[in-house]
Amino acid sequence: MSADPPALACSGLTIRFGDFVALQDVTLTLGRYRIHAVCGQNGAGKTSFARACAGLIGSATGTVEIASRPLRIGHVAAAREAGVELVHQSFALPPSFTVAEAMEFGLSGSTGAIFFRRTLNRRWAKHLKALGVEAKPKDRIRDLPVETQQAVEIARALAGDARLLILDEPTAVLAPGAVDALFARLRRLRDSGVTIIIILHKVREVLAIADTVTVLRGGRLVDGPTEATEVTAESLARSIIGAAAIAAEAPEDQAALVGASIPRGTHAQPAAAVTAPLLSIAGAATAKTGDGPALRQIDLSVGAGEILGIAGVEGNGQQPLVQAIAGLIPLTAGRLTLDGTDITAMPLAERRRRGLRIIPFERNTEGLSLSSALWENWAARGLLGHSALSLINPAKLRAEARAAFTTWDVRFETVNQPARSLSGGNAQKVILSREIDEAARLIILAQPTRGLDIGATAFVWHAMREARKRGLGLILISSDLDELFDISDRVIVLQGGSIAGDFTAPYDLHAVGTAMVGSAAA
Amino acid sequence: MKAASLTVLRAIAFVLLALILCGVIFEAAGFSALDMFSSILGGAFLADGALIQDLRWACPLFVSAAGVLVAFRCGYFNVGTQGQFYLGAIGAAVVVALLPGLPGPLVILLALLLGIAFGALWAFWPGWLRIRSGTDEVITTLMGNFIAGLLLIWITSGWLKDPAGSGQVTASRPVPAAMRISDSSGVSPTILGITLLVAIGIWVLMNRTAFGVLGSLAGRNPVMVTWQGARLSRLGLGAFLISGGTAGLAGAMEVLGPDGRLVSGFSPEHGFTAVLIALVANLSVSGTVIVALFFGGLASASLFLPVIAGLPAAAIDMVNAAIALFITARAWPRRLGGVRR
Repeated sequence: MSADPPALACSGLTIRFGDFVALQDVTLTLGRYRIHAVCGQNGAGKTSFARACAGLIGSATGTVEIASRPLRIGHVAAAREAGVELVHQSFALPPSFTVAEAMEFGLSGSTGAIFFRRTLNRRWAKHLKALGVEAKPKDRIRDLPVETQQAVEIARALAGDARLLILDEPTAVLAPGAVDALFARLRRLRDSGVTIIIILHKVREVLAIADTVTVLRGGRLVDGPTEATEVTAESLARSIIGAAAIAAEAPEDQAALVGASIPRGTHAQPAAAVTAPLLSIAGAATAKTGDGPALRQIDLSVGAGEILGIAGVEGNGQQPLVQAIAGLIPLTAGRLTLDGTDITAMPLAERRRRGLRIIPFERNTEGLSLSSALWENWAARGLLGHSALSLINPAKLRAEARAAFTTWDVRFETVNQPARSLSGGNAQKVILSREIDEAARLIILAQPTRGLDIGATAFVWHAMREARKRGLGLILISSDLDELFDISDRVIVLQGGSIAGDFTAPYDLHAVGTAMVGSAAA
Repeated sequence: MKAASLTVLRAIAFVLLALILCGVIFEAAGFSALDMFSSILGGAFLADGALIQDLRWACPLFVSAAGVLVAFRCGYFNVGTQGQFYLGAIGAAVVVALLPGLPGPLVILLALLLGIAFGALWAFWPGWLRIRSGTDEVITTLMGNFIAGLLLIWITSGWLKDPAGSGQVTASRPVPAAMRISDSSGVSPTILGITLLVAIGIWVLMNRTAFGVLGSLAGRNPVMVTWQGARLSRLGLGAFLISGGTAGLAGAMEVLGPDGRLVSGFSPEHGFTAVLIALVANLSVSGTVIVALFFGGLASASLFLPVIAGLPAAAIDMVNAAIALFITARAWPRRLGGVRR
């Protein structure tokens, strides 16, 4: 390493949110002109670290130095002055702005001055071109594909005199091909003199891009920065997860948990193709909704004992698909058949009575009522089978909920505690205990492991495999290809509201990735 | 039950805070706070006949408040209790006026039923607008109160007007004795029986039926129950109709009971107080019983104060308002804040 002052040096950096310690006593020095990966599981403190370095967390304690000059904690302007720019996990560009407007006002933050669109466009066209961003200054942000939005966001961050660029999980929203393009872009930036801190949680991606690797676990620095050349997939996975935790997992899940190699679906069982499908969707179409594009000509079927994976970049019709199967949005064409019965016109309650179960995308709003008691959340499914004025016995329902929670290994104190008091993994177990019951026939799991830690993720996978063994049909919607490839018997790809590909094991990452981004990138 | 005792403590704390605030204002206005409070206490609970007076006000207040808590728990802010109460009273008076020849008990039954139906009707249209097009029910039910007040004036000074009336207050003809459910004391086995029935009915509804559990879930998170397959429109409309119906019943009870006729602009504070009772009781049924007795006492004290103690009755309005102030400041974000989407 050169004698240059380090790009970033923090000492004793600690962040508390109430009783919760997000980051504890992190002392770290990151050298200049390199790509530093900061990795860890969900909740390891990665995002908190990134936000604190960018001056976004006022309650942080400890010191942060940028190029050997102390940074005032919690002052975005000061961080920006020092050349630190953060690209957020979810993009912060106003969708209705043009690229040039977003660049201009994202930089200055001013709103009052009179501006001329043509001057702006000309000014930023040059900048975009220099960075190799394929967007025209007059394009609206909302019309750009997600990877271009991200490129614009990075270009925006570099519009000033940024010397340290922090990217928070930039790959989470990207298709595989776009990830490679992003990494190439980052390498070019590094070579042009920008230091990059990239937050990642997939081992494969870390090894592909990083010069040095830093690992956080449970808010503490456990390893690093280590030269990437000294790190292997196994050693990195072990330090992200903790050696004890990984050994406890079933062998078939270990590979996917680590994400070190791409599982080729070797564990998937052949689909029980001889039986009639449990759910079949024929020629289904919907109108465009706020949650995604219109579905067009969706044909798919799920058999008993089969897990159908649905891949796709988020927002390509996954939400409308689940809503259509649930009956919450109407079909404009086509029909749905559940277990031989046409359910196209049935309300959700009737579909549920016939064995449809849904684990919706949003655990905390669609899946649970956070301020209601656990037993009420659990009992909701059963109560809907009866008329509204039928008498119930709360004591019995509480006992049943208690028994179900115990079976599903939910960590809880009493069934009267509000659902809000549970961690994400436990909350998901409550939903599983409600949705995977004796009468379940077909279960839709929408992003069931998002935001869960490693143990809870393995639990969900185990539950899915058990359900498959019992002969249930499952549809797994996930943005994590490792997860999909590991557990699905078949994978279809949704792109722009229609099915862009149908794959069986062994899965070809490149082919799936191409289908995900559609013909434009193919 | 930890939650239940917390609720009680919380309610007591609100009332104490409100009383301290009132005490300060009384002193500042030149009254002795101690005198004032002892007179209120006497008028409410201790003086001769105070308990009967308390029950006279507490019964109809409870019946309305029980409906309020159903709507609020289901996430619908039906604050149109006053209007639904007036409509119920009109319904009862109409039955009495139209069917003078029928036997008393039958007329009473029909009058109570039409009162419930009219009250429910006055909650139906805001409920329907809310569920069909998302119209804010706070605004529609509040406006409904004014319309109902004007309807009451119109009908008592028109079709139902008692020609022998004094002219100071317009009112209907007195209800014949055979069709009354109590004398002017407002306390009778029938009134207590109806109140008890409502208490049991609403308790069972909220604690022992699928409607109660699902309604409470929907009140806190309508999206979640939608994903479970519930039809929010049915739950919601049900909640509106029940809360309107109980308010209508309370109105009918006033006409057939203590008032004995339909009086223009009677009990103008009834709806507001019922909402306040349900909120102080944290929307619990048993809590509402106790809080209704407390506010019934305050209502009777407001008649006692000027007559017996020579103190301004507005003191009671102040106590009410101060309690409302503390409840809205604290309880609204806590219990109800998560309800609106």
